[in-house]
Amino acid sequence: MEKSIESIWKEGFLEKNALVAPKLNDLYNQKSIDIVEKFRRMYKINIIAVAMFACILLPIATLVHIPYMGIMFFVLFGVIIFFAIQFKRKLDTINKNLNSYEYLKTFDNWTKEMIGFNTKLSRYLYPYVFLSMIAGFWFGSLGGDIPGNDLVNYLLIKNPDIILVFGVPLWGFIGVIAVVLLLAFFGGKIGEWDLKIGYGRILKRLDTLLTDMEALRRNT
Amino acid sequence: MSSDFYTTSILPYAGIIIKICRAYTDSQEDFEDYYQEVCLQIWRSREQFRGESKWSTWIYRLSLNICLTLIKKKKNSRRHITSNYLPEEGTEDNSAFADESLNQLYDAIKQLSELDRAVILLYLEEKPYKEIGEIIGTTHNNIAVRITRIKERLKNLLDGKIN
Repeated sequence: MEKSIESIWKEGFLEKNALVAPKLNDLYNQKSIDIVEKFRRMYKINIIAVAMFACILLPIATLVHIPYMGIMFFVLFGVIIFFAIQFKRKLDTINKNLNSYEYLKTFDNWTKEMIGFNTKLSRYLYPYVFLSMIAGFWFGSLGGDIPGNDLVNYLLIKNPDIILVFGVPLWGFIGVIAVVLLLAFFGGKIGEWDLKIGYGRILKRLDTLLTDMEALRRNT
Repeated sequence: MSSDFYTTSILPYAGIIIKICRAYTDSQEDFEDYYQEVCLQIWRSREQFRGESKWSTWIYRLSLNICLTLIKKKKNSRRHITSNYLPEEGTEDNSAFADESLNQLYDAIKQLSELDRAVILLYLEEKPYKEIGEIIGTTHNNIAVRITRIKERLKNLLDGKIN
């Protein structure tokens, strides 16, 4: 006689080993290793990407006659890569033999230190980026005409009463200073926002995991 | 996860979780991952349980939702890999249980759509249609019609395999 699916189900689960629950060992361990490894990979890829971008930008900037900007950006990316490598080295020294909680906590401290440093750096970085762009367009190509001077001459012909500060029209000078100050003020926030775009999801997962583990430590 | 919570609030219902996770996975490794993830999510969400339904019903709902999410995630990650080298779903682990008929029934269940799998698991656990409707989020009548159709499909799939 053909068995119904209901009886197959009931009889099948009568067997005593049919419902043995897997062990929950190592769950956090695995998750901790996964999260740190994922972050490490992303961080390394980002360093390589910045290095490649710096190397590509320099000849392109020269080709389009804004070499000063290219050089300034190259220096900037060099500084960023230098600090990123220092942080990467520190990340690599996190002891994998720690228990999951301590391992993640050490990693969390590392991320906080890295974000804190980058936030501070961003206060200088964004004004520097802006000044590099201004310098790039102002000074033009190496050894050639200076487009900034041509612009000032043109403006002086149009309006001879214009006030110059260090050879730059006063309103332009004030404008640049204002933007630099604004970028210095908001640079930290922009930097934080930039990091969140790249690492936000993984850092949120880290927070959740740590909250869980701390709750677990309180309960047991 | 607190071992007290696991022993008192999850372990008595482990059977439910095992049955659901088995229906949505094709290998022992995936099954263990899904089981652990479900247990972890139950623990994480424990404060959201307001006692409006039975604890077991809540575990059903959560387990199904988590398995459906995991299966979706797995499908998405598979799309990024060249699919030519991946084994067909439902072919890796045909002997999770000692009972051969149960293994064949599970194989047949795995051929159903994800939602139909959830419905038939709840039906086989003798949940009333009303409760199945509440868990799945549809009407009692819809569930009744769906179950008839699923049983017919399963019968066809099993036809010739089980005497």
